[in-house]
Amino acid sequence: MKSIKLIVSSLLIILLSTQISSAQNPREISKKSADAIALGSMEMTTTLKIMDAKGNTRSRTLNMASRKFGDVTKMMMKFTDPADVKGTSILIYDYEDRADEMWIYMPALKKTRRVVSNEKGKNFMGSEFTNADMSKPNIDDFEYKIISSETINGKACHVIEATPASKESLNSNGFSRKVSYIDKENYLCYKIEYYDLKGRHLKTQIIGDYRAVEGGNFFYYEMEMKNEQNGRKSVLVTDKFKAQSQMSEAQFSPSNLDK
Amino acid sequence: MNLLNPYNVNLRSGFAILNFAISKLKTMKKVVIAALSIIISLNLPAQGKFQDNAEFSGYVRGSFQGFSKNYDLTNVFAQFALKGKYSGRHTIFNAEVWFLGGHHFGEFYNKLEIMEAYAGYVSDKFDFIAGNQIVKWGRTDGFSPTDNISPRDYFFLTSDVDDQLRANLMARIKYRFNPSIDLDIIAIPFYKQSNYRFDLFDMGGMAKFGEETNPEFSFTNATLAGRLNFELPGAGFSLSYFRGYDPYHGFNLKGIELDINAPNPMPSINYSSTPYRKQTIGGDFAIPAGSWIFRGEAAWNITKGGADSLYIPLPSLAYVAAIERDMWGVMGIFQYIGRYTPSYEPIYEPQPTGTDPDQMLYYMSQMVDYQTRMFNRKIFGQQKKSNHAFAFTARKSFAYDTFTAELTAYYNITSREFLLRPKISWTIADNLSMAAGGHIMTGEKESLYDYSAPVMNGLFLELKASF
Repeated sequence: MKSIKLIVSSLLIILLSTQISSAQNPREISKKSADAIALGSMEMTTTLKIMDAKGNTRSRTLNMASRKFGDVTKMMMKFTDPADVKGTSILIYDYEDRADEMWIYMPALKKTRRVVSNEKGKNFMGSEFTNADMSKPNIDDFEYKIISSETINGKACHVIEATPASKESLNSNGFSRKVSYIDKENYLCYKIEYYDLKGRHLKTQIIGDYRAVEGGNFFYYEMEMKNEQNGRKSVLVTDKFKAQSQMSEAQFSPSNLDK
Repeated sequence: MNLLNPYNVNLRSGFAILNFAISKLKTMKKVVIAALSIIISLNLPAQGKFQDNAEFSGYVRGSFQGFSKNYDLTNVFAQFALKGKYSGRHTIFNAEVWFLGGHHFGEFYNKLEIMEAYAGYVSDKFDFIAGNQIVKWGRTDGFSPTDNISPRDYFFLTSDVDDQLRANLMARIKYRFNPSIDLDIIAIPFYKQSNYRFDLFDMGGMAKFGEETNPEFSFTNATLAGRLNFELPGAGFSLSYFRGYDPYHGFNLKGIELDINAPNPMPSINYSSTPYRKQTIGGDFAIPAGSWIFRGEAAWNITKGGADSLYIPLPSLAYVAAIERDMWGVMGIFQYIGRYTPSYEPIYEPQPTGTDPDQMLYYMSQMVDYQTRMFNRKIFGQQKKSNHAFAFTARKSFAYDTFTAELTAYYNITSREFLLRPKISWTIADNLSMAAGGHIMTGEKESLYDYSAPVMNGLFLELKASF
């Protein structure tokens, strides 16, 4: 009987320690943080404000929609303002196990073009955000470690450093490391600091106004990216949001981009 | 103010003409806006979602191109473009109207042009659209052998070559087998030529370009085209078929006139832009591979009568291979453009066989025939059995996409013609942009670029406000 108790106790200790180490696993925390955001299936209207160091502001409005079909999350963006980019549409197929695919339709060009999609570090529409900020991060692109714990806005957070796992990921993302502040309780990320290839602080991303949405997830209604080196700032404000997009797969097809 | 030429005051500035043209076009604008407003109000009760999906936009542009050898002001115009679009669950319509006024190769003009106006039924599986539409096929850029649907006005000179695209009346059906495969079928009842104005070129003084010759309106002369398009994971490709008259037409000899009463009688050779019928079987692809994209396009053009008729090209295979990559923020596209004409036979300049009037007359007719054939071969890129050319485009955006610098270079190895097109664009504010650049063409004597250069070379400056 004594030996059974010992085995059970040992098993419980092993199980508990596994769970604790799992919760403390920085990769797992980062994955949970990415999964906490309802980017998989949604429709929204968002306004992108681009501010230079002098405070001059430019603004772009776009409709975005995404939905998962099989192993691919399909995302469509359509610009509605200002007039010179109105009608420009972008379609991204975000695969779990292979490179993404991207198409762009520009009204002046009158045709849909397949373009290279691996430039995640490229500025999104002239803002401080990058293409990578517009979709769910690929967890496998980085290696993670917990560097400390800090309190942000009264919330206890894990401070996790992510470094590109490969040279390809480094070149594609365009930064040497990022430090994320992730809520220990609900895994929401409040702040990310990006460091350039020389290790200098490049940008700070502040994510806020999280609201619970249908399906048990959250969505951020405001996201700010400040360039610490040149003083420029971009703000993405969500005007309308709807979780669980009902758009059909046909609507996410390249042949539909010109409609 | 000269009442016969009211523009001369406004032409002191390239952009001042804008005000004048808009004031002249105000009445037409009001009519169009009123008409569009009525359409909206009529549809509102029936379609609750209309307001969410109706879009009205447009732009006003002042454009200047000048400093060519033949014209100080080659092409100066003001433009007001009005666009209306509605996209409902099963209904779509789109209209774009241009009001243009300006000075074009030495002539003043004012015109209203319906660029696009189409309506149709749309759904996830099936679209049926009818009206004036612009259709662009092919996966390569600038040189697309499978793109035979929409005509172009090659002499509408702006900062963007896509402004040269013109719509044609057509019925279009698109059927989607699934999100990755679709079939596009187009029927065009009336033929519309592309516009290239050889009448502006100095081609020896004897050549005269008159009215265009068009096929009779009949169902047998209609154009039919189809394209089966695949967008699969990792690659996109298509197969296409075209049967009809090519908008990129030839020139036929209409006659030779000789004014014997003139002090020094010189023959006048009269040409007419004349389309030819062809079938094109084509295909294209785009394959991304890491940071690269490989694109390609090929078209087998089947024509009949090319050996006999001067304005009909010989059957040929046209192909383009392209690689595209972004390096250090510079987008580069390198293209090889080729054409193979299997039945090509060289032609030789005729020599006089004698000096008596009959022999001289025969020699003259042979010479005109030879010159016309050579001229058409230049247009169709059939100067040799195999024709080769390269094109390179580099584009870089600066200052967070506020400035864009672009350079396109093209060199035809076979005809030894060269084109350079630098351009800088500046987004001054959200709705205001400016573009400046130039066109530089050069070629061997009597090549197409040699003829074009004195007219089309020059600098351009453009200001565009969108709403």
